Amino acid sequence: MVGYNGGNTTGFVSPAGDSLEGPIDLAAILDLRQPSRYPVRVLGDALAGRGILSGDILIADAAQPPAAGHVAVVMLAGDVLVAQLAFRHGHWWLLSGRPDTAPLPVEGEDAEIWAVVTGLVRTKV
Amino acid sequence: MPTFALIDGNSFYCSAEQAFAPELRSKPLVVLSNNDGCAIARSPEAKAMGVKMGEPWHLFRKLPDGRAVAWRSSNYALYGDMSRRVYDVLTERVPAVEPYSIDEMFLDLTGIADLDRFCRALRREVRQLAKIPTCIGIGPTKTLAKLANRIAKNTPALGGVCDLRCPADRAGHFTVLPVADVWGIGGRAAAKLAAVGIETIADFVSHDPQAVRDMLTVTGGRVHAELRGVSCLPLSLMAPTRQGIAVTRTFGGLVETWRDLREAITNYTARAAEKLRGEGLEAGHLAVFAHTNPHNGDPWYSGQRAAEIEPTADTGALIGEAVRLLRAVWRPGFRYFKAGVMLHDLAPAGQQPGLFATRDKAKSAAAMAALDAINARFGRETLRIASTGAARPWRARQQQLSPRYTTRADEMLIGRAF
Repeated sequence: MVGYNGGNTTGFVSPAGDSLEGPIDLAAILDLRQPSRYPVRVLGDALAGRGILSGDILIADAAQPPAAGHVAVVMLAGDVLVAQLAFRHGHWWLLSGRPDTAPLPVEGEDAEIWAVVTGLVRTKV
Repeated sequence: MPTFALIDGNSFYCSAEQAFAPELRSKPLVVLSNNDGCAIARSPEAKAMGVKMGEPWHLFRKLPDGRAVAWRSSNYALYGDMSRRVYDVLTERVPAVEPYSIDEMFLDLTGIADLDRFCRALRREVRQLAKIPTCIGIGPTKTLAKLANRIAKNTPALGGVCDLRCPADRAGHFTVLPVADVWGIGGRAAAKLAAVGIETIADFVSHDPQAVRDMLTVTGGRVHAELRGVSCLPLSLMAPTRQGIAVTRTFGGLVETWRDLREAITNYTARAAEKLRGEGLEAGHLAVFAHTNPHNGDPWYSGQRAAEIEPTADTGALIGEAVRLLRAVWRPGFRYFKAGVMLHDLAPAGQQPGLFATRDKAKSAAAMAALDAINARFGRETLRIASTGAARPWRARQQQLSPRYTTRADEMLIGRAF
């Protein structure tokens, strides 16, 4: 027996034989085949107020245009940051989830809003 | 008239690394060949520092400048997925795409209005979505598109796009570019042309077509016609059936025992068999070789054996044949430096009916399909033949391998919550 899938019974014929379906495919639900979608693992709990915890897997979509209030993955000064976006005085800022941390301007050589977070997977609740 | 374009990734392997590693951006960076041997991709900053293509890295890194250059082992799982992303972005926007190599795709842009604007938007989208900076060359033939791409890359003022559809534009470039810059004109052809005074592309294009065919055969004649704007090479959307499959590697450390050599050959054979099945083929000829290092002062030994085999794509059967041949290659007392397996006489599976077949083909095909399915689902080498070894002392050095960000759940890009 290679593997039981609900249809290949040895005794009584399974009534489910003509209606078998595989397990739910999370990659398809999250549309990970899209060339613009990247999984990103979160480190740190600064965004707990937005419901994003350390260890969560974010689905970041580089095709999504950034907007104020969105959470985005941002390359800034050699770091990969996950932060809430704001648009002020003609350019983008990162707002920290921590009340004591000042906003950071998205500027400088190689600074880039890399992708906008569109989904989240938490494997342990 | 058809319109072709060639789009290629700038320093593709370096760009794929930099996409996920902001600390490597705008820095001198090289990606090394298998076994961390020599530089096979260089960022513009590394090129500016004088790092050459193929530069042996163990020598360069000891130079005063060497320390300033960051390096990575080649991460083909990552580059393959990034190439797939570039292809997917292009197919959504362009009528037809031919993936010519991991970092170059030919496009059919026939009938698209305002090509300059279209191509500049395409570059922006590939950069934004697939994270790879590119250059695009446009022309009425593939050969001219490839040449235009080269000009775009070497002329930053063009902003990454060069259009050679207009004959007057071509003429200006043809008088200054050497004919050796043309796709399809190799070193030997260039030497033949130089012997009759043909140095530039302009010299070549104005040469008599019959004289070109006499000198460089039909292939040269086709290049000649393509440079004059006559399209001879259509877009091919299917990869051609391979002539052979080779898996050869330089060892991480010199291999001195039969056991380690057998293990290495077993692994290469398993990989070759996987490639074979991936293309739905069977092999009817198998060759194995191993040799010592010609440059380290060791005594030279090189052995090779080949045999016709009953056509198969079965990993176990191929390993059996390979190890049988390797026994004849093996000489004790040498330190082996490189070895490999080559499969030839390839044909679609099931087309070579063996009159005296000794193996149960249906059973073997089912076992191999299960093996490949498990490895596709749970990651390469989840399930493998036991003789491929555990410790693997022969394995290639990959001391600076970056994460497989997009294909492994435990190696994803990490973002710090701000």
